[in-house]
Formats: sequence, structure tokens, C-alpha cells
Amino acid sequence: MKSHAMPATHDIDAVALDRATLDEAALARLSELDPTGATGLVGRVLKTYALSLERLVDDFSRARADGRHDVLRRVAHTLKSSSSSVGAAEFAALCVQVEAAMGVPENAESSALLDALMIESQRVARAVQARLATD
Amino acid sequence: MQLNADPAVTGLEVRPRVLLVDDDQVNLMLTAAALRERGFEVVEADSGDRALELLEQRPTDVLVLDAVMPGRDGFEVCRTLRATEGLEHLPVLMLTGLDDNESINRAFEAGASDFFAKSQQWSLLAGRLHYLLRAARTRQELERSKAKLARAQDLARMGSFDWRRQGSGTGPGSFALSPEGLRVFGLPNATLVSLRQLLRMVPGAERHGLMRILRDVMNTASVLTTDVPVTLRDGRSRIVHAEAEPEYNEHGQCVGYAGIVQDVTDRRIAEDRIRHLANFDALTGLPNRRQLIWRAERALDAARRIGHQVALLMIDVDRFKVINDTLGHAAGDDLLVEVARRLRSCVRHSDQVMEGALESIGSRSHRTLEAVGRLGGDEFVALLPEVGGEEDAERVAGRMLESMRDPIFVGGQECFVTGSVGIALFPRDGASVADLLRNSDVAMYSVKSAGRNALALYTPHLSGRGREKLELESALHKAIERNELVLHYQPKIDVRSARMVGVEALMRWQRGGTLVPPGDFIPLAEETGLIIPLSEWALREAARQAKVWSLSFGFADSVAVNLPNRLFERSDLVEHIHQAVSTYGVPHRSIQLEITETGLMRDLQNVIPSLHRLNEIGVEISIDDFGTGYSSLAYLTTLPISEVKIDRSFVRDLGITPQSSAVGTANIALARSLGLRVIAEGVENLRQMEVLHRLGCGVMQGFLFSRPIPPDDLETWLKTTVLPRRAPWIGQANALEVSENQRRLSPGAVA
Repeated sequence: MKSHAMPATHDIDAVALDRATLDEAALARLSELDPTGATGLVGRVLKTYALSLERLVDDFSRARADGRHDVLRRVAHTLKSSSSSVGAAEFAALCVQVEAAMGVPENAESSALLDALMIESQRVARAVQARLATD
Repeated sequence: MQLNADPAVTGLEVRPRVLLVDDDQVNLMLTAAALRERGFEVVEADSGDRALELLEQRPTDVLVLDAVMPGRDGFEVCRTLRATEGLEHLPVLMLTGLDDNESINRAFEAGASDFFAKSQQWSLLAGRLHYLLRAARTRQELERSKAKLARAQDLARMGSFDWRRQGSGTGPGSFALSPEGLRVFGLPNATLVSLRQLLRMVPGAERHGLMRILRDVMNTASVLTTDVPVTLRDGRSRIVHAEAEPEYNEHGQCVGYAGIVQDVTDRRIAEDRIRHLANFDALTGLPNRRQLIWRAERALDAARRIGHQVALLMIDVDRFKVINDTLGHAAGDDLLVEVARRLRSCVRHSDQVMEGALESIGSRSHRTLEAVGRLGGDEFVALLPEVGGEEDAERVAGRMLESMRDPIFVGGQECFVTGSVGIALFPRDGASVADLLRNSDVAMYSVKSAGRNALALYTPHLSGRGREKLELESALHKAIERNELVLHYQPKIDVRSARMVGVEALMRWQRGGTLVPPGDFIPLAEETGLIIPLSEWALREAARQAKVWSLSFGFADSVAVNLPNRLFERSDLVEHIHQAVSTYGVPHRSIQLEITETGLMRDLQNVIPSLHRLNEIGVEISIDDFGTGYSSLAYLTTLPISEVKIDRSFVRDLGITPQSSAVGTANIALARSLGLRVIAEGVENLRQMEVLHRLGCGVMQGFLFSRPIPPDDLETWLKTTVLPRRAPWIGQANALEVSENQRRLSPGAVA
């Protein structure tokens, strides 16, 4: 949770930090699936992830406003495994927590957790964009 | 579902077809890439609905299914395809969260084959899929072999059953019959049937026996194998073969039986039919030779044990051959069937033998061996397994002869048949079945020789006549049937014109590879009376040959057939000849009859009427061996005779002794003065020919011209000798003709 308070910036340091948000080892595992890079798998996966993240975070915001805990739970469920796959380990961990929390009605109003997820999602989105821009 | 073949079996690398379903595009992409990398052919679907669509469209070996998805989730997809025909057994791997116990349970309830926690351990995922595919393949093979077994059982009208006895630890006694088994008993599929209900399908008497067998088998925990007659609900009777083995629990106690039931009705019918064909004569339904010998051997065993006598009666239908030839084979068969029926009614004939009881001491079951059997042709045998003595056997034989006397209506007319019966007794006349058969045969032939239509007991004296002669006689009896008789023909030559003017038919017997000359069998045929059927055959054959020659080279002369005088005594001779010539469409004059002078004179009064009738219908009579007997000249002038044949003994001595020339001259002169044709036989050289010609005999036969030859050779002989006028005697004959003409023309000739 080291970058929660970090504003969205586009300076060099910030880009470097955002890149660090994605676990290199996980990304290396992705590359193993396309060792020669012939199919551009890593790039395609990241692009797909970025699009799905954007859409799902929108869904998440709307569900939060509408108080739809079931949708929140499903979005968290979907995001956790793909985020883990692209190396967004902290974000994936947040998704696990949210999914679990939304399954229990008395934990439903844990707004701090939901805030944290929203903020981390932006960091991950930036990190992905940064990776796509440089790779 | 059609699984791609196992590479381990086929040796070919086949990519298993995976349908991957995940709503998360990233996961879908990654998992697909990982599986492709590991040799799978992957099709992706991002929703449950899309997955179901693709499953319908393309063959899939394994489904990898995300459990939690929006819309139709993985559980629902799984449930749907488990209810879809053809997809019930598709292997499904459900992808769940790492600690998602709830999903794991739901996955199994929905019918998933296995689950896999989502992770990036791709090799583990691939290994799990290979394992699933192998299990599915094994399952499919099992299904196939089960289906094959069911099909095979169905084809074999076989089914399986399982019976658990009460208190065997598996609850109350239970009985289960497979669908194929239900079909064996004619019951609809899925019928619930108890063992008791099945037993009730067995008819009463057999049911008690079956219950006893079942109790014995169960008490000793032994293997059950038995055939049971059952009556199905629709009333059909079937035979069910049941075979079962005991099953044991872990304590070694028999807890029940597992086995098969099979409808063996058709097999049983076929077996019975085969047994029947092997043991019974197809025409008459009587036991055949094999069955009769088997019975006779059993009867001798019993007789040796108990010490009584056995009788074997050999019965032959008299003149069956004539009936067969005149009325046709179908009528002959009808006659045999009727004779069989009558003979059978003369004994206590049993079709079935109480085989099991034959060995038991004190039992009289050997009496069930009593039967009449057919050995073949018109030969029947009666086996009397216990007789008090020869009188018993004679009584039965007498009944048989009596039973045959009533006319039999076959081929549109009444036939009168008689039989000849020979009797041999065990142990007196033979110790084995073969001896008894042979000796009853000898006795039967003695009846035939003595004029048929009677019975005779075997006596050693009958065999004393000489085995060779007996065998010859027995073989001669069958010679006509077997087409062993042939006629050879010797041409009669008119030496003046050097033309053939007729032939004499001479009988030969083709026995095995040798040609038996008439001297070796005609006397025996005379003695036994066989000469009658032999002569009758010769008349038919001569008529047939006359027709064949008339068609092939215009033969229009006559074929002379030698007849014994006893045939002339028969009132049906004229009718017989008429039938022979009519059958082949030749005129009556095609047949000429030769009767010896001695034969004619011996029984002149009885023969004369036949001679007149024959003459009326155009059949010429020739007196054979003329000059050897003591012909009454007075009779010769009145008899309807056309020709006399100078005996060979006079011809042989012609030109050697003056006496023979004198007798020859006298004979020829006598015949000529009576207006008869004269023919000389046994002419062997040109000198004899020349003398005979000079004496006024122009027609001759003998080796000088030709030996008796087969019919085909006669045609060749005509073509190669007579027509080209090549033989020496033709030259001589011409010379004689010339000198004769000169003699007539010379002024000093005596007219």
C-alpha cells in the first residue's frame, strides 16, 4: 500500500514507479507463453487488461453508487485473477479482500477498502499504459 | 462425444480439442495461449451461452469452464450439458478460485468431472486435462465394450442375472435381470420380475425338477448349468439355458449367484434335427443303418448280460427294381414309405430309446430298442431285442410277409408286392451285429433263390454253398440297380452282298474293373431266377440301342436277344416287349428273339402260344443252336419261326470231317425247304465261310467278321471295315460271288 497517496503524475519518476506496480516476475511468466514474441502476446494481454479494467472500474463505481454489493463482488472476483496474471499483485490482493467483504452483508459498508481499490486501480491502469508505451 | 484417439495407441500426435470458457478476456487469452503452447487445440468462448452454441457446432474432447461468470455461469452450463444427449459424459474441468470451497462443491453437484484452482501453473492444468481425457477415453471404451456385450448378448439371445440370497448382508434376497435377460423371457424392458415369477414360467413337472437342481446347487455352492423349458406369457414355448457361478463375501460365504440365461430353442431344434438326420432315414423316417447297428449292439450287450436271444430280420422287397423302373422313382419312394409303415406296425417299434436305463440290472428297457430300420434301397431290417426262440422271429416275419400282401396304391395304380425275409438269431447264428447282418442276408437270398415271397432261417448249410458263389449271387442281385450290365453286339453278315443284316446282343457284366463273361454268371442267373429280370433288362436295352443306331446311322435291322424258355412261359412277355419298343419308339421287328432248340423242345406246349402272339406283332423268332437238339420235324413245320441258327459245333468241323459237312448240308437243306432263313454262327475263317456259302448258307456271324463289341465300336467297325470294303473276307466274298455267277452261266452247270 505504498502508493495510495501518490497523485497521478506523468513525470519520469512517476512512470518508473508505475512500472514498478506490475510485478516483473509475473510479466516474465507471461512472456514465457510467447518466448519469441512472435504473437505479441504480452502486449495483447496488457491491452485487453487495460480495456477490461476501465470497463470494470466503471461498473464498480456505478454499483457502489447504487449499493449493488453483488455487482461489486463479481467485479472484484473478475479483476482479481486477471490482475494477478499481469503482475498487479497488490491490486489483486485488494480485489480478494473486496470480494470476501462483499460476500458478508455486515462488511458491506467498508468504504475505505472500496476507496483503496479505486485508487489502486488508477495506479495499475497507469502502470499498464506506461508498460505499453515503452514495450 | 468422440474423443480423439489416444496417441499412445495410434502412434499419431493428435491435438485434443479444448473448449475454454471464461468471461475474463485476459484469463481466456492467457489460458488459451498456455494450452496451445502445450499441444492442445483451443477454442475460446467468453460466456456460458456461447459455450453451449460452440458445443453444438464442433466436436470437443474436454471443456474448461470458469465457474463464476455473469449470465449463464459455469454450474448452469455444466448442468445443461449433462442433460444433453451426447454430452452427458463430456469431461468438464471447472475453474474455481483458490479457496472457493463453495464453488468446488457446487461444481461436483452440477456434474463437473474435476476442478482446478485458477493459477498460472499451466503445466499442472495441462496434466490435469490429459488425465481427464485418458479417464474419458477409458470410460468410452468401457461404454463401447458394454454396448458390444449387450449387442452380442442380444444377438445370442442371452442376458445376465444376479441373485443375492436373503441375509447375505445386502438386505433381503434380491434378483436382477438385465434388459437382454428380460427379452429372453419375452418380458418388456424395465419389467420388475422376481425369481419366483420366472420359476412360474416353467411348466409344472419340469419346475419340480428344476427346484431340486437349484436346491442341490445352492446347498453345495456349486456351478449351475441347466436347460429349462419355459412357457412365455404369449404362450410360446422356449428352452432357456441357465448358467451361474456362486459369489462369495469376504468371509468366504456364498452370498448369491451371478450368471447368464440364453434362449437355446433354435439350437436345440437344430441339434435334434441333426441327430435325427444322422440316425433316421429321410424317406421313411425309420432308423437308418447307423442307428440300427447302434441299437443292435445295445441289444446284444443286454442279451449277453441277461442271457436271452436276439433276432435280426433282413427284409427285401421283391422285384422293387421293376416297380421303380416302370412307375418311376416317385412311385417307388411312395411304395417304400408304405412298406415301411406296414413293417413297422408288425413290431413294437420305438422311435426313442430309453438310453439312460439300458445299463440298469433287471431292467427290461432293452425292449425299447425294438425297431424296423431301412438299410438303403428296398432293404429293411427288423431288430427283435428279445425273442424266446426262432418261432418268435418266424412269427414276426410271417406277419411282415402277410402285411405286404395287400395291394399298395402308388403311381395311380395298384401294385402287388411281396417280400423275402431272412432271419438270424443271436447267439446261435452270430456273435456280432456284422455276423448277424451278413447271415440274415444269406438267409434272405436263399429265399430269393427259392422263388421269393417267403421267410427263411439262417443255417450254416446256406453258407456252405461257397462264399464266392454267394457273393457273386448277392452282387448279381445289385448289378442291374447299379447299371453294371452291358450288352455287346456281334454283327450278322450277308456275305454275298458283304452287308450287315442284323446283330446279336450278348450280355456282359462290368463288375468292378473286370468284364465278367456270360458263362460265369448266366448259369447262376438261371439257377437263382435272376435271369428273368436280366432278360427283361436286356430287351429294354436292345430296344434303346436300336433307336440310338437308327438315329446315328439309319440302322433298320433287328437286334437278336437271347431269352430263356421260362420267359416264353410268362404271359406278360408280349406286353413287356411291346412296352420296351414303345418306350423308345422303334418298330416291333427291331427285336428278334433267340430261343435254344433244347429250351424250345423241352416245354413246347407252353411256349407255342407266346410264339404265335410274338409273330403276330412282328417279332421274329430264331432257333439257336439248331441241330443240337432233337427237333420234331413235324412241329418245325407248324411253328412260327423265321430263322434257324446252325450251331457252332458243326461250323467248327466244316471242311475237316466229311460227317459235319453232311449234317451241315442236311440242316441247311431242311431249313431252306421249310422256307426258313439260315444263319451260321461261330464262323472263324475264310475256309468255313467258303464252305457254308457253297452249301447255301449266306448269312453268318463269327470272329472272322467281328467279335461281340460295345455299341459305339460297332459303328466304328461299320465305318472302317464294311463301308470301305477293306476286310479280307469281303474280297473272298466277292470272289465267291463271281465264281458262283460263272458257275451259273457255264453251259455244264446244274440248275
